[in-house]
Amino acid sequence: MSSLTVVYIVTIVISIVTALLLVYLSRLSGQTGAYYDKKKIKKEYSDSDLALGAPLRHTIFDEISELGVSVQQCQEISNRLLDAVSEELEKRVTLNTQELSNKYEAIIEEKSKSEEITWKKYKKTLSDKKETEAVIRSVAEGLVVVDAGGKVIMMNPAAEKLLGVSGKDKVGKSVLADLKDEHLVSLTKGSPGKEGKEIELVSQQDDTKRVLRASSAVIEDENGQTVGMVSVLSDITKQKELDRMKENFVASVSHELRTPLVAIDKSISLILDKNAGTITPTQEQFLTIAERNLKRLSLLVNDLLDLSKMEAGKMELKTQPAAIDKVIGESAAALKAWSETKSITIEKKIQEGLPEVKVDQNKIIQVLNNLIGNAIKFTPEGGLIVVEAKLSSQGNKLEVSVSDNGLGIAQDDLRKVFDKFYQAGERTPSDINGTGIGLAIAREIVELHGGKIRAESEKGAGAKFTFTLPI
Amino acid sequence: MEQKNIQVLVVDDESDFLQLMTFWLQSKGYSVIVASTGEAAVEMVRDKKPNVVFMDLRMPVMDGIEAIKKIREFNKDVPIIIISAYVDDPKVKDATGYGISGVFYKGKDFEDGLSLLEVALRTHRQLKK
Repeated sequence: MSSLTVVYIVTIVISIVTALLLVYLSRLSGQTGAYYDKKKIKKEYSDSDLALGAPLRHTIFDEISELGVSVQQCQEISNRLLDAVSEELEKRVTLNTQELSNKYEAIIEEKSKSEEITWKKYKKTLSDKKETEAVIRSVAEGLVVVDAGGKVIMMNPAAEKLLGVSGKDKVGKSVLADLKDEHLVSLTKGSPGKEGKEIELVSQQDDTKRVLRASSAVIEDENGQTVGMVSVLSDITKQKELDRMKENFVASVSHELRTPLVAIDKSISLILDKNAGTITPTQEQFLTIAERNLKRLSLLVNDLLDLSKMEAGKMELKTQPAAIDKVIGESAAALKAWSETKSITIEKKIQEGLPEVKVDQNKIIQVLNNLIGNAIKFTPEGGLIVVEAKLSSQGNKLEVSVSDNGLGIAQDDLRKVFDKFYQAGERTPSDINGTGIGLAIAREIVELHGGKIRAESEKGAGAKFTFTLPI
Repeated sequence: MEQKNIQVLVVDDESDFLQLMTFWLQSKGYSVIVASTGEAAVEMVRDKKPNVVFMDLRMPVMDGIEAIKKIREFNKDVPIIIISAYVDDPKVKDATGYGISGVFYKGKDFEDGLSLLEVALRTHRQLKK
């Protein structure tokens, strides 16, 4: 009886276990069923994939075998699981790879585009650079570029020729480094505002002396930092020679012009002063006319010579202390004869006790001659010219003015009267004339003295010219 | 005209000016000798020993400065007044280094020349004492 019971129990237990196993298996097959359709699009595994799959296979196998399935089943289950996982993985990887490669391609494309632009820019810059270099090479003037330390960065063939050096030897050195002392005669620093410095050197090729002018400009970067200097060298030997010739010419012309004037003037004055015996009133009258016109001619010649000096920047002052009333007196006396022909009165109003001023007397007389001469020209018969000298309100300078009651000057013309060759608008052609340089010279002389000159006028109401002289 | 018994040498290559200057100095009572070149001037100073010299600077061959240098080699004494045609002549500056008593500008009145002459003679006499 008991043995029958045992058989029953064992049978029941086996049936339950079998049933459970069947249920489990059927579940498994249901889960994996979905993958079999996709197996059709499954790609073949490469050997490396299988190789990579090997450890995974082991893990799955171990996991399933713990469930107590048979080795056969276990193998089968794990194989299928692995296939499914691999396939999914493969798909993901392919997808990712695709995405990545797309992104990569886009980046590459972008990169190559910008590279193309950069290349284009580079080529443009290169051709620009070549163009600039070609321009610099063909500039007739010598061009030297130095860095902030004064070392040569580049120089063009004209500069090489002018300095008698080779650019290759010079790069990295100072411009004048190799010039021997005997070659470099002088190196004058130009004053600010002038046209750069002058370099005088003896040519290394033919021993001729040459004068170069170097006009330099500082090169600044965008932050305003000095990064170097560019110098333009020009050969001014010929110009210098011409300047010298012109100076000599002006000197000899002025000598030639003045010599006869002086001889005539002295001859006339000897007769007029009765040094050479008595003369009749008619003779005296005509000689006076001759003398007067000679004075005007002398003034004109002086003005012209001064103009050429002014232009050459060569006007110099010989100053010494002088009493302004004496200076005014001298000018008024010189022009007295002329003013008398138009019955014009020259009145002097000179403040008492004025200090002496340090001036070039001859030049100030010339200024006054010009101002009073103009006043005579522009004032009708019987007019009045007032020459006034007084201390300025601050007491630091002398104010000298010449005013007349003549034609006057229009406001528009007033600003321009001190310009060279300028003449005030309406003029009576027969009577009033001049060269238009007198006032320009007057301004130059006054400014050389450290003073200022100005004109005030109203059309028809006379004009007043005032200049100041520092005390 | 009162005779001053003073001999003036006037040196200028411009004979017109020379005549005028001579006439005027003579009218003021001076006795005048003239030279129209630097060389002649040097000889005149050596031979005639004038009391004072008026010397033009711009002359051909030997100019005024050269003549003054030559004169100063043997006569450090005689007052020399420079004659200049114009105020800004740079030669005037060059000449001042050789002992001159003044500059007479041709454009100025003869009276200016006369006062220069008188000052030079007076100074010279005082130095002699």
